[in-house]
Amino acid sequence: MVKKRAFGKLKGREVMVLGIIAAMIILFSFLSPTFRTYPTLVSVLDNSYYITLMALGVTFPLITGGVDLSIGTGLVSYALIGGYLIVHQGVPVGVGILACIGMGVLIGVFNGVLVAVMDLPPFLATLCTCMITRGLGPALCGGFGVSWPSALSESGAFRKIFKFTTANGTVVPIGIIFIVVLVLIMSFVLNHTRVGRYTIAIGSNKEATRLAGVNVKFYHMLAYIISGLFAGLAGVAYAATYATIYPGSGAGFELDAIGGAIVGGVSASGGVGSIIGAFLGVIVICLMKVGLPFIGLQANWQQIFTGLVLIAAVLIDVVKKKK
Amino acid sequence: MKKKMLAILLGAVMVLSLAACGGGGGDAKDDTKKDDTKKEETKKDDEGGSKDGGYHFEVIVKSFQSTYWQAAVIGIDNACEELGVTANANGPANESDIADQIQMIDSAIEKKPDGIGLAACDTNSVMDSLTKAAEAGIPVVCFDTGIDNAPEGSVYATVATDNEAAGACAAENMFPVIEDKIKAATVDAKVRIGEVNQDATGLNIQQRGNGFIVKMIELCNGVDKKVAVVGNEFYVNAAEGTVAESEAEVIIEVGVPAQTTVDLASTEAQKIMAKDDTIAIWGSNQTTAEGVITANGTLNKLSTDPSKGIIGAGFDAGTPQKEAIKNGQFIGSVTQSPLMMGYECIQTLNKIAKGESVSDIPMDGYWYDMENMEDDNIKPNLYD
Amino acid sequence: MGEVILTMKDIDKSFPGVHALDHVDLEVRKGEVLALMGENGAGKSTLMKVLTGIYKKDSGTITYEGKEVEFKNTREAQDAGIVIVHQELNMLGHLTVAQNLFIGREFKKGIRIDDKKMNEEAKKLFDRLNVNIDPKETMSNLTVGKQQMCEIAKAVSFDAKVIIFDEPSAALTESEIEEMFKIIRDLKKKDIAMVYISHRMDEIKVITDRVTVMRDGTYVGTLITEECTKEDIINMMVGRVIYEDPKTESAVPKDAPVVLKVEHLNAGKMVQDVSFELRKGEILGFSGLMGAGRTETARALFGADPKEGGDIYVNGTKVTINTPQDAVDCGLGYLSEDRKRYGIVVQKTVAQNTSMAFMKNFMKGIFIDKKKEKDVAREYVDALATKTPSVEQLVVNLSGGNQQKVVVAKWLARNSDILIFDEPTRGIDVGAKNEIYKLMNKLVAEGKSIIMISSEMTEILRMSDRIVVMCEGKKTGELDIAEATQESIMNLATREIA
Repeated sequence: MVKKRAFGKLKGREVMVLGIIAAMIILFSFLSPTFRTYPTLVSVLDNSYYITLMALGVTFPLITGGVDLSIGTGLVSYALIGGYLIVHQGVPVGVGILACIGMGVLIGVFNGVLVAVMDLPPFLATLCTCMITRGLGPALCGGFGVSWPSALSESGAFRKIFKFTTANGTVVPIGIIFIVVLVLIMSFVLNHTRVGRYTIAIGSNKEATRLAGVNVKFYHMLAYIISGLFAGLAGVAYAATYATIYPGSGAGFELDAIGGAIVGGVSASGGVGSIIGAFLGVIVICLMKVGLPFIGLQANWQQIFTGLVLIAAVLIDVVKKKK
Repeated sequence: MKKKMLAILLGAVMVLSLAACGGGGGDAKDDTKKDDTKKEETKKDDEGGSKDGGYHFEVIVKSFQSTYWQAAVIGIDNACEELGVTANANGPANESDIADQIQMIDSAIEKKPDGIGLAACDTNSVMDSLTKAAEAGIPVVCFDTGIDNAPEGSVYATVATDNEAAGACAAENMFPVIEDKIKAATVDAKVRIGEVNQDATGLNIQQRGNGFIVKMIELCNGVDKKVAVVGNEFYVNAAEGTVAESEAEVIIEVGVPAQTTVDLASTEAQKIMAKDDTIAIWGSNQTTAEGVITANGTLNKLSTDPSKGIIGAGFDAGTPQKEAIKNGQFIGSVTQSPLMMGYECIQTLNKIAKGESVSDIPMDGYWYDMENMEDDNIKPNLYD
Repeated sequence: MGEVILTMKDIDKSFPGVHALDHVDLEVRKGEVLALMGENGAGKSTLMKVLTGIYKKDSGTITYEGKEVEFKNTREAQDAGIVIVHQELNMLGHLTVAQNLFIGREFKKGIRIDDKKMNEEAKKLFDRLNVNIDPKETMSNLTVGKQQMCEIAKAVSFDAKVIIFDEPSAALTESEIEEMFKIIRDLKKKDIAMVYISHRMDEIKVITDRVTVMRDGTYVGTLITEECTKEDIINMMVGRVIYEDPKTESAVPKDAPVVLKVEHLNAGKMVQDVSFELRKGEILGFSGLMGAGRTETARALFGADPKEGGDIYVNGTKVTINTPQDAVDCGLGYLSEDRKRYGIVVQKTVAQNTSMAFMKNFMKGIFIDKKKEKDVAREYVDALATKTPSVEQLVVNLSGGNQQKVVVAKWLARNSDILIFDEPTRGIDVGAKNEIYKLMNKLVAEGKSIIMISSEMTEILRMSDRIVVMCEGKKTGELDIAEATQESIMNLATREIA
């Protein structure tokens, strides 16, 4: 039932983004013969896991009309702390993963209190937590990079959640199943539960929602907790996909997620957005990140191009609204 | 009123939770504390005994971003213990936090130490600070990164890896493995060697990348093969003695990610490794070497046998690279000796403090592979 | 008449600097419609907010169904059966009608919201109220009138025993008001008590049973509607007789120069081939039903929305107006129907708002000449009799009528000769309305010209020299005040609909 609704009723925007994805794949395949291979697909997916997870979470603050800028530096800091506990304190991997997610939730609560209870502007509040998380990880872990256990070691089994290598060497990106399941769950949460309904309501008219007797503070806060929770999950995904977590990195990751969500039709002014759209938007971003080097665009041009595509995506919204 | 109360409460909760988190990592901090007290004890002993020690130095590294600096700090600590001096190591959160580092240098000067060890993030921005140090009569020893036109009398000596030689070292060790394939290459059946560099702006990476290219061209020309360099504009333009792509038997393709993140570095590596004519690839620092390893996670193309796959090599250390060598994905890697640089830096500072004359100490890049990884002169440099 | 269901006694409430409610009494009975009247700032809304728990009272008692109560929030009041239909529509534009109706109390199946059941329940509710609205429609796609119906339906769906209507008719057309009255009469039969806050005297006479009047935060008295006249109520509200009769003929000479001429103005569906002339010293009324295209015409003329065609002449010269900036340069001023959104910046002072449209005139080099700003603002405060403690007062603290005066001052400071008043007295109480009327008359006497868009027939008939009537984006007629009657205007305004 849920599945049918989630996929059976794709909105116009989602269909459009699917079209863009198809167009990009065709264009890149045409321009680069090596792009159209199975490993590249796997690589796009690899790239997408942590960004998608961030986007799933940040969609909620975005729909309330806010934003969460702390997710990028947050995920690095949570992954650092989790990895530090595993590698240097000898805790079981499972505990490290829970610590990573738990830290995300904690910072989510902190953001939520700042925004929903103390009425700080979301941009400002989360910019501050962005700085805090940027320093927090390195501060707690002695400032050094951390490599989570590798896929080959026994305790590195968690990496197989995202990428599984069969006996004959074929790589199976099973992480996408995990991600799709989460996309469906969060799509359900947004469209068919009170949490989602009130998130949209707050973004649409916060005062009216309050007057309807909804505990606005709680649900507003919850949006940021969801964002934090998914930043924590993204931390795990990042640690599972890449070898080493470097302290001080992560600034700018949130822009990939927010950019993806906006490409997918989540309105930056609140009230509008879909989880599936955000997911598809992230795929667009990841296709660009992987595809542009493949077609031979050099570093600086990749960034210019990415910026232009984002402008185009936002412009479509603006033009549509004017009509 | 309510809000104010909440603010205070929240602040308290934050502090508490921080303290709690700190407790989780408490062991390590306690260790450092113990180290500190130990150091002070040694210092006291020394003051009682020889006049040799007792100096205090300030050391500013580029960042704590990479485990690389962990090894440098170990070297610094080792030298301190040996000489009975103390050193305080500090560094910004990120290699690009240039302004933060300047602040740290300036406050180090204020402390009036007996000398400053410096690994500058940006060689141009530290000029003013160096002048201040010279005016205050505090000697500076550069390590890891040299500063070409430092103000007179500020920098006494430089302890740094010769990056060009280190890059060449990788080419020299890689070439014999792929020599047969290169010899078999023709204009119609080209072979491709990949190089992934973190950026095209840092002097270290530039020298390293070019060192590899120059050496590789020289070796290929030695077996009568012409070389073309393609990819990132900077490295293409810097290369000499190359031919057009269509005329070359060997292509060196240089990839540089748009940002220095692991995911983009691995995409660059994958782009090169996905090509059928690629026979070897080299990542010129820890991030890009790990990028090659990550890319191989999906491609499974790396091998130590040139007939079975792509030959891979890296730079610096870290757990992922060490495992890649043990697992037969990398044939080897070049390590600098951050430990030795840290160590030599303190040694040199100590000599200056004692009034001895000093000179620059060029550090080699060391090739390490499965065979010599555990050797005594290599192992300490291979940080996790 | 039914038994008493709700009694508020000796309610006292102070805000910093304001004694908003001074020992006010109120009594509501089952099955009656009680009008609560008073000028803006008399304390009606505050009293209702105290009742529904939005504000906490300082002292006094509220007895509901025989028990003393004190609600902590609207939710508690709702659960007890006291529901408020707000003046400003509390709609969640991005959600559907059904989702709006049941916000905060969704039907659930496990953790899942049962949208299907909500749609069914909404349909049942609308059927019961005889309203034709699709529960699945997105709220922002409905007309203001339909949105208001949803608000009422929502109140009814709470099994409300007391419903408070806070200026429910402000944005409704005549026919929509009729529809609403039908619903109200229906609810009366079901023994529901209603409090009806409105400024429209004729509505009060038609729909209410008793009238309670407040003034300056105090209780003045209660009358039986049938037994009193409009004048009685107004006298209680303001303490003076102010009602004026319609204008019978225009004072503007037939040969007065044409200051503004609009020919074949086109802008989308709402403005189709509209032409008219405005003479010096004239008030040109624009009448029509909600959605007739009057505001759209004004906005297109003013350059606020793009036009597709049409010529505009100011003082005989053809001008190009593509942006509000162009319009202002031509001497046009536009007083929006939605003051809070377009007219004023409520968080700025009276002086800052006055200078806003013509900053150039208030600059000393690159600095704002604060002294001049205040002097000019003070001049207009005096000239327009704006009630404000000082020109440094934030506009948000002024009443609706006085906010309107600040907007007028803003355009006068800009030397605008042609002023477009879009619903100049919406949400303004009777006393202040009269002052706005006086002000408009004074302005035309000084040689300014005014286009007045109004949905209130009495206002149109009382103020205009000539009347343009629009219907569905087209101009359907033009009447001189001497020949215009309520019937002739309505005839033109509904011509195409019928």
